[in-house]
Amino acid sequence: MKKTMDLNAIYVPSDDVVAREIEGELIIVPLTSGVGDMEDELYTLNETGRAIWDGLDGKKPLKDLIAGLASQYAAPADVITKDVTGLMAELLKRRMIVARPPE
Amino acid sequence: MIRAYRNPLPQTYRSFRPLPELPLWDKMEARRRLLSFDLEITARCNNDCRHCYINLRADDRSVAGRELAVPEIDRLAGEAVSLGAVWCLVTGGEPLLREDFPEIYVRLKKKGLLVSVFTNACLVRDEHIALFRKYPPRDVEVTVYGATAGTYERVTRKRGSFRAFRRGLDRLLDGGVPVRFKAMAMRSNAAELPRIAAFCRARTKDYFRFDTQLHMRFDGNKTRNAEIRAERLSSARIVALERADADHFRALEKKCGALARPSPSPGGAARRPLLYCGAGMGSGSIGWDGTFRLCSSLWHPDCVFDARRGSLVEAWRDFVPRVRSMRSLSRPLAGECGACTLIDLCLWCPAHAHLETGRLDGKIEAFCRAARARARAVQAEAGSRR
Repeated sequence: MKKTMDLNAIYVPSDDVVAREIEGELIIVPLTSGVGDMEDELYTLNETGRAIWDGLDGKKPLKDLIAGLASQYAAPADVITKDVTGLMAELLKRRMIVARPPE
Repeated sequence: MIRAYRNPLPQTYRSFRPLPELPLWDKMEARRRLLSFDLEITARCNNDCRHCYINLRADDRSVAGRELAVPEIDRLAGEAVSLGAVWCLVTGGEPLLREDFPEIYVRLKKKGLLVSVFTNACLVRDEHIALFRKYPPRDVEVTVYGATAGTYERVTRKRGSFRAFRRGLDRLLDGGVPVRFKAMAMRSNAAELPRIAAFCRARTKDYFRFDTQLHMRFDGNKTRNAEIRAERLSSARIVALERADADHFRALEKKCGALARPSPSPGGAARRPLLYCGAGMGSGSIGWDGTFRLCSSLWHPDCVFDARRGSLVEAWRDFVPRVRSMRSLSRPLAGECGACTLIDLCLWCPAHAHLETGRLDGKIEAFCRAARARARAVQAEAGSRR
């Protein structure tokens, strides 16, 4: 079942992955077992995906991340919202991000 | 500035693309880039194998005291990562001999490296299995010296080592750790090689490989080198073993189909580059004592960088190009080996030339004999098919 993303939640990269930049590309390396589809896999994101990843700063809720992207990218806000929540759901399912517990 | 928008969803989010197909590698291949490195964390070993090019006594405290400490490994691995390294092979000696192996391993993993481990499996404990289950290695390559206790321990010269190996291997396999196998073929175990191959292939979906080329010691120990020479198989025996193993022989035939044909260097054959191989182009080797070399076998004093005193970044930027630009004036390299079309079957390289002859450009007669015998076997096989 697809997870519904909480737009008020703050998401951060999981401790189960290591994100690296190689040759200008963002590479996400699974660190622990059960992350991603295969143990022997690297993940990359395109420029838009990377902008989303870079926005996971542990400070702003998802809705602010989406608003920030909408001001930067030439695309309707509803398209950006759908795509961002879609990618975040994927990353969450693969344990690459986690919701930061409230302070 | 308003930027072009591209959907970040699965068509660009590569979850099913095999690792070798990532476009990243094309970018990295375009220039010299440290993509992978070997990390020898110790030269010590629990076994005392007759053919081993590196092993020192497990209880040698002075050697243990010269091994890279965890913070040094952390620093060097961090520098390798900053240079773009993706793969790290942890090797030895026997890496599991170090009590701090788990800490070293986790630190490498947390740097975002894909880590492989070479081991004889004798020292695998439940703690290692828990570690590998939590932080999976890319693979664990286990060396198998024999399929029976008698043969195994004739090679390792350690009583009880076969039992320890079987126990450790079972732990790895039962724990679901990805295991692949290799064997070194020598006089002490050659008769058992088919059984060793069957033993390994029954236990892995991954590959089993064997090597017939026993290397000389990195430390030049004359007594040990004499023992290694005594274990070397004749060319005829090498070819017979290789021919008997279909996978191995197919690989040789493939090599034969694309034999290297070195072309004369500019300005004639007089000053040939020493390094034909890719050492230092995408890989390097960090030694147990903090040395950095272009490959693990390249121990000539002019080709060794002290990474305890200098940085790996400096080594990669300045030292490696210097080594790769070394030239030879010697007759064997310019006239014989340098022009030989069997070079891919011979496995001649300056690193082994130095270990065998003391010269980076020396001719290695034993390698040469084996290459010619291999070529004859491949040609005979091709002839019989026709």
